[in-house]
Amino acid sequence: MEQPLQLPPSDEELVVKTLTDKSYFGELVDRYEAKLSRYVTRLGVNNPDDKLDVLQDIFLKTYRNLNSFDTSMKFSSWIYRIAHNETISWYRKKNVRPEGHLIAESDELISFLSSSEEAADISFDKTKNAEVVGKALGELDDKYRQVIILRFFEHKEYEEISDILKVPVGSVGTLLHRGKKQLASVLNQDEIRI
Amino acid sequence: MNQEPQQKNNSLKESLLKRIESEGVCPRSRLFFTCQECFIWSIWLLSVVVGAFAVAVSLFVVTHHQYALYEATHENLFTFMVEVLPYIWMVVFGAMVYLAVFNLRHTKRGYRYSLARILLSSLVLSFAGGSAMQFFGLGYSVDNILGQQMPVYVSQVKLEQKLWQCPDEGRLIGKMVFSTVATATAPAKIIFEDMYGQRWDMDISELSERDVALLNSNQSVRLLGEIKNEKLKSFHACGVFPWMVSKDVTMEDMSHEREMFIESVYDHMKKADERLELLENETYSSSSLKNESVCANIAAVKRMPEKSSN
Repeated sequence: MEQPLQLPPSDEELVVKTLTDKSYFGELVDRYEAKLSRYVTRLGVNNPDDKLDVLQDIFLKTYRNLNSFDTSMKFSSWIYRIAHNETISWYRKKNVRPEGHLIAESDELISFLSSSEEAADISFDKTKNAEVVGKALGELDDKYRQVIILRFFEHKEYEEISDILKVPVGSVGTLLHRGKKQLASVLNQDEIRI
Repeated sequence: MNQEPQQKNNSLKESLLKRIESEGVCPRSRLFFTCQECFIWSIWLLSVVVGAFAVAVSLFVVTHHQYALYEATHENLFTFMVEVLPYIWMVVFGAMVYLAVFNLRHTKRGYRYSLARILLSSLVLSFAGGSAMQFFGLGYSVDNILGQQMPVYVSQVKLEQKLWQCPDEGRLIGKMVFSTVATATAPAKIIFEDMYGQRWDMDISELSERDVALLNSNQSVRLLGEIKNEKLKSFHACGVFPWMVSKDVTMEDMSHEREMFIESVYDHMKKADERLELLENETYSSSSLKNESVCANIAAVKRMPEKSSN
């Protein structure tokens, strides 16, 4: 006889279970450690020890605040928000700036940038110049860089970005558009050919 | 081969669970977050309510200022407005709207709404609440209570008193305390006591019947005129106007009062014109010169624009 397909518990179900049994939290850590580690790196924390510290803070804060999780949003958006805030706090605490070693590995970002009027005369060769684009990203205003990272590196939807950065959904589109303009202008200014 | 990352993963998970266990880390209770959210909403509500109070008092102040008689106290409407606008309440209102917007944006889902929408909703709520409060007379009560309790707060009553209790500029607030009827040998004697208890011997020869009736009504009134003799404390009255700082005074009352004021001022103006005509025609008698109109020369009359012929 065929066994009914057992789906793994959703994040939201794990949150409920964690509140009664803390060992379930390990499952959430397993699910998000790699994703958040990449995200934190993209926000500019590159040193492995620093990253580990930030990740510990993120998960501890998540655990402490499980009861404040708003079920009207995705758990992933909520934990990304914590990750974002903790990383910013970490910078403030350490009084340092992001190290800006983003690697522009996203095809989507390149094609998004190609669609910009400001970048019309820039030719793209992503294999050679992805790192250059990454560096240019590092020069963007924080608010634009954060939205671009979430959209093109973390592949988040507008609504998720809105929940993570706590900005209205309409503003996400505006920030992306302005970010694209600024990115193209930074690339043009430096006469970078990609 | 791929054991190292897996080991690292496990180490983070394990170290986290160990830390949670050893440090006794617990999820904060739901009540804590509910209280936090309630606190933010309460501050929001408070700021909207205080904002509504600010609107109510501002509405009261703006609608109950004595625009009707502004020529009596100021050069023009602009200087009058500059002095009487409720700046403090405007600042309070601005601060409360800012606080309301700030708090609403910091509620659990406040960030989902645009700044314009949040700002507009706070403004609309404060205005609606303020208008309702003013409708029930709360604007007057708040202004009056604050004026009584806080010496530094200039309430509408205090402001009107400041504007009208100014004998050197020909304005008094008070009531008639003593009067005699005119006889063949002696004119009527009217004693008026101002708000500081100073008694004035009043010359009411240029007052209209309406003015005299108002003066006799035993109510607080505002007097417009000129000091005749500072030492003897005698005052020449040119107009009597009711004390109108009250929540019951309507715009209609104010408008009626303005009509009365204008009529009174033009009456005095007419007297001056008539006298000028007499002088030009040189048909005046010596007694007409003695009876020259004092009221025709007071500041309020001079400030009033010429009446158009049609």
